[in-house]
Amino acid sequence: MSLRPLARIAILLLLLGTPLAARGADDASGFISDLGKRAIEILTSPATPADREQSFRALFDEGFDVPTIARFVLGPYWRTASDAQRQEFTKLFEAYIVHAYTVRFSEYHQEQFKVAGTRPEGDTAALVSSQIIRTAGAPPVKVDWRVSKTERGLKITDVIVEGISMAVTERQEFASVIQRGGGRVDALLKLLREKLGEG
Amino acid sequence: MPLRCALRILALTGLVLLGGCAGTSSSPGEEADAYAVNDPLEPVNRGVWAFNTTFDEYIFKPVATAYRDYVPEVVQNSIRSFLNNLRSPVIMFNDGLQGQGKLAGDTFARMWLNTILGLGGIMDVATDLGIPFHDADFGQTLGVWGVPAGPYLVLPILGPSDPRDAAGLAADVVADPFNGLMRRADADYVTYGRSVVNGVDTRSRNIDILDRIQSTSLDFYATIRSLYRQRRDAIIRHEAPPEGNPNP
Repeated sequence: MSLRPLARIAILLLLLGTPLAARGADDASGFISDLGKRAIEILTSPATPADREQSFRALFDEGFDVPTIARFVLGPYWRTASDAQRQEFTKLFEAYIVHAYTVRFSEYHQEQFKVAGTRPEGDTAALVSSQIIRTAGAPPVKVDWRVSKTERGLKITDVIVEGISMAVTERQEFASVIQRGGGRVDALLKLLREKLGEG
Repeated sequence: MPLRCALRILALTGLVLLGGCAGTSSSPGEEADAYAVNDPLEPVNRGVWAFNTTFDEYIFKPVATAYRDYVPEVVQNSIRSFLNNLRSPVIMFNDGLQGQGKLAGDTFARMWLNTILGLGGIMDVATDLGIPFHDADFGQTLGVWGVPAGPYLVLPILGPSDPRDAAGLAADVVADPFNGLMRRADADYVTYGRSVVNGVDTRSRNIDILDRIQSTSLDFYATIRSLYRQRRDAIIRHEAPPEGNPNP
């Protein structure tokens, strides 16, 4: 009897012995560590704001579960929206979020990114904690990433900066825009179009 | 009595406002949303917000910008350290009331290190020695004790708040031993001056980030409301080190 089948069984036992959640957590941590480093690289690179936004858009498409986030941020209005509205919203939302957060986070260049720990959330999700260590002696910024296992691999569903969830903030802002527009999703779509038209 | 009459009118107006807004908050599609915001006074809040925005544009922000651009950074940092140190008794008291023994000890050590070695607080030697600043306030303490925030409020000049935080702010001002000292010395203007400098310094540190949020928001009022509520919740959960709130 050769050693090969034995080794195979040993590996199998080893894998089974590791709790599934823990393995998922390690994957999630590496995934975030890699994405975070690439994000800081983009912010630090001497590119024009437009190029930077382009790079971020690619990173966002790759790393984030855009359809799930879009559905969440529209909240109860997702149900009342038509298919055409949902499609247009998802497209506008993606462009808006990349633009808004590229601008808002533009001060985090030349900073260090460090994954601090991971906590499983159920069987298919995990919360990865990270820190952005700032240069000017300012206190580090705590950033948590909610990561889900999807059929297209690991994807981010929310970013939580110092306890403030990006998804919740956008959901509440969008709800306000729709309510002020008489409860019509079109009011939000119109404002998003205008905002993005500004350049 | 004219006063009683005025109070009654005020109470009635409040009821009408609350009633009027309760009606609007049940518009279609909005029911049972776990993320719905508690802002029944939104029309009034938006009015105060508009006033604050004008005040900020013409007075507060220009002063804060001048402070940031013309006062030497060393002086700015000394002023921030001094104000933080002056606040130590209030922070320590709230740390204690929240059951945060270690944080209370940190504040105690910081207060003496900075007052003596830091020349009355103008140098933050404690941070260099590995005891960084943290804030604590009585609104947070009430939150830790389980008091709900209540509806969102925009206070004139002071900005985003809620009944819990407004009560906490008042309690902190009254309980502050330095303010008490000034009151007894008939020098209340020192207390006001301290608040103004504190406000200008805080605003000067938030100029860029608030500009960026404003320029990228669809509804700046709703964005700040969301950020404020979430941040206060996080501070009460003690998940992150408290910092200054955006206060336009």
